[in-house]
Amino acid sequence: MTHRADQNDCAVLDSWHAVGFLETLGTAPTHTRLLGVDLTIQRNVDAQITIRAQGHDTPLPVAERYGCLWTSLGTPPATPLAIPEADEPDRRLVCCGSIDVHASGLRVVENFLDMAHFPFVHTNILGAEPQTEVLRYHTESRRDVDEIWATDCRFHQPQAALSAVGGQDTGYIYRVASPFVTLLYKTCPNDTLRPDVIALFVQPTEPERCRAHPVMFLIDDFSTQADLIQFQQKIFLQDRIILENQRPRLLPLDARAEIPTRADSLSVTYRRWLKQKQVRYGATGALPAA
Amino acid sequence: MSVTGDGGWYPLMLSADLEPGTAAGSTMLGRDLAVWRDGLGQAHVWDDRCPHRGMRLSLGFVREGALACLYHGWRFGADGRCVHIPAHPDLSPPGTIRAAPLRVAECWGLIWAAATDESGTLPEDDPALAAVPWVPVRSLRIEAPWQGVAGAIGLPEGELAAVLDRDVDGRVLAALLPVGEGACMLHLLAAEPAEVARLHDLADWGQDVRARAEERAGQVFLSGAVA
Amino acid sequence: MSALVLYDDELDEDCYRARLFLSFLGLQARRVVVDVVPGGEQDSAAFRAVSPAGVLPVLRIEGQAVCGAEAVLLALAHGRAEWLPEGAVDFARVAHWLQFAGGPLRAAVLMRRASLFAGAGDEQSARRRAAVAALRIVEDHLAHRRLDGGLWVVGEGPTVADIALFPTVALCRDWGEEHSAYPALRRWVRAVRALPGFVTMPGIPDYG
Repeated sequence: MTHRADQNDCAVLDSWHAVGFLETLGTAPTHTRLLGVDLTIQRNVDAQITIRAQGHDTPLPVAERYGCLWTSLGTPPATPLAIPEADEPDRRLVCCGSIDVHASGLRVVENFLDMAHFPFVHTNILGAEPQTEVLRYHTESRRDVDEIWATDCRFHQPQAALSAVGGQDTGYIYRVASPFVTLLYKTCPNDTLRPDVIALFVQPTEPERCRAHPVMFLIDDFSTQADLIQFQQKIFLQDRIILENQRPRLLPLDARAEIPTRADSLSVTYRRWLKQKQVRYGATGALPAA
Repeated sequence: MSVTGDGGWYPLMLSADLEPGTAAGSTMLGRDLAVWRDGLGQAHVWDDRCPHRGMRLSLGFVREGALACLYHGWRFGADGRCVHIPAHPDLSPPGTIRAAPLRVAECWGLIWAAATDESGTLPEDDPALAAVPWVPVRSLRIEAPWQGVAGAIGLPEGELAAVLDRDVDGRVLAALLPVGEGACMLHLLAAEPAEVARLHDLADWGQDVRARAEERAGQVFLSGAVA
Repeated sequence: MSALVLYDDELDEDCYRARLFLSFLGLQARRVVVDVVPGGEQDSAAFRAVSPAGVLPVLRIEGQAVCGAEAVLLALAHGRAEWLPEGAVDFARVAHWLQFAGGPLRAAVLMRRASLFAGAGDEQSARRRAAVAALRIVEDHLAHRRLDGGLWVVGEGPTVADIALFPTVALCRDWGEEHSAYPALRRWVRAVRALPGFVTMPGIPDYG
């Protein structure tokens, strides 16, 4: 049984959604699902990509950006989100492969925004006991761009990146560009000024299921592509066992459903922002009929 | 040990399958539970959900007499109250942050939980089970409705545990946990004295019960090569 | 055995069989990462030259390639009677479980891959039933072993049979199968985790 988005769920329907990596698209048609709707992706001999959706007469909008194929079931903005760093000539684009998760895509985004789990879920990589404290950081809802940002985040990490040698205090900036699109900027071991950029594009396939497409924009001249990909995949699979065991699988937007602390102020801001945008897909309290 | 009405006690697992300092999952009529044993040997049964971010506590770990959530390491003491939040190590967690404990009993080699606070006769008080010490044999997950399994092994109507008089030698304590609509766990124990060969026979009998019940329910699990 | 090279995929449970055993033995191997997802590098001409069937892991021992988890376990266990019993019956029993790991247990390996990469997790498929059936065979075996006072798959201590089975059993939550349905497996998983040199992989939490 598939669940489609409520027609009033505009923030979700009118967003761009990543639906796969361009490098894995062959000439044969491929199939995927977005918001309960089956999609057929076809690349013709001119490398033109067409996406058709079940029940839609006309092809869906298409964008190719950040190594991913993007589409929308509604009326999206002119282009997917802007990531200015992506165009810096010495950045390496690392497409990390798509992973399915039996959890709401909103839970997956929220976990990406969380530092407090590092010592327990990414033990000896992104965190380690006894350094478990999450220091106060700054969270803001940027009205002009309709995005959520968190700045001044710091966490002590035993191995912040593949290229890191020894532990470091890592600075983080988090950004939520749309309900299912998030990225972070973290201290780069190879550049004192510019941060590494790691994005997580989440494709909601069903309210309680999604496909995650992690993409990195790194400053690293040394590591092999395969090593970089597997480092990030390892991190994501460590998160997956958590994500698939949260109950409910949908993200509760009722403030009383789960108990946050100060360390969760970004998660609180994210949930409040979703509620204001009246996001339904992947949230509790709204499962539209099949 | 009546299962009828709301006042029942449910046999979750064999005591022997919950070692001190470990946590396990169980499901009672669709309600997910975290079962854990502290360092002193006391068993605890809670709803399987951390109040912080909904993580199932059955995947957690036991530390300093408390159950810690795998996600953020929040620790909950025996009464369910949160005692430590690693993200704020100097904070005394407010008393309102707590896990949800159920009533628990441990007797006859089994861990029991009550679905409500006003549960009927405690399992300890059942005279039929008191006669002999019971040796754990094993538990089996059966993908079939519990009512059918209960009938097949001869549990009295409305009972989830009983001493069976069956076609296996010696006295057998069988206890059945309804996991959900179409699944249950069958726990088997043998009365002392129990020779090893008899325990194997009983374990085999359990596998036979499982196979027949699943066949009746149209659930067949055959191992073999798959593409 | 010096100069070990492991062709490895971090997410692959077959590679984890090799990593786990190397760690138990206290051996170091230089890792060569093979990009299976998304790269599909196991099918590249370069990798097929190393592993003709495209099978991971591959362990190079003094330059010689040994392909596939069971073969790697045997190569490393050779001459270590504590991991590969010398008596005919126990030796053959270990062989049986290695064969089982490479045979019926593949259903569970495929379930996990489908659920990670192809969105085909929880449905009641024939593959899922075969995967559950395979886990049950190990569960039933260990339940009987326990009645004899045994903790391990074969004999009185851990052998390569335990290592061949452990990753797939411990990772079954990755395809939505609960550990709570398998009490004998849970107990054995804890015993393996308690062995000196144990290492985890994603899907098998460090804590717990």
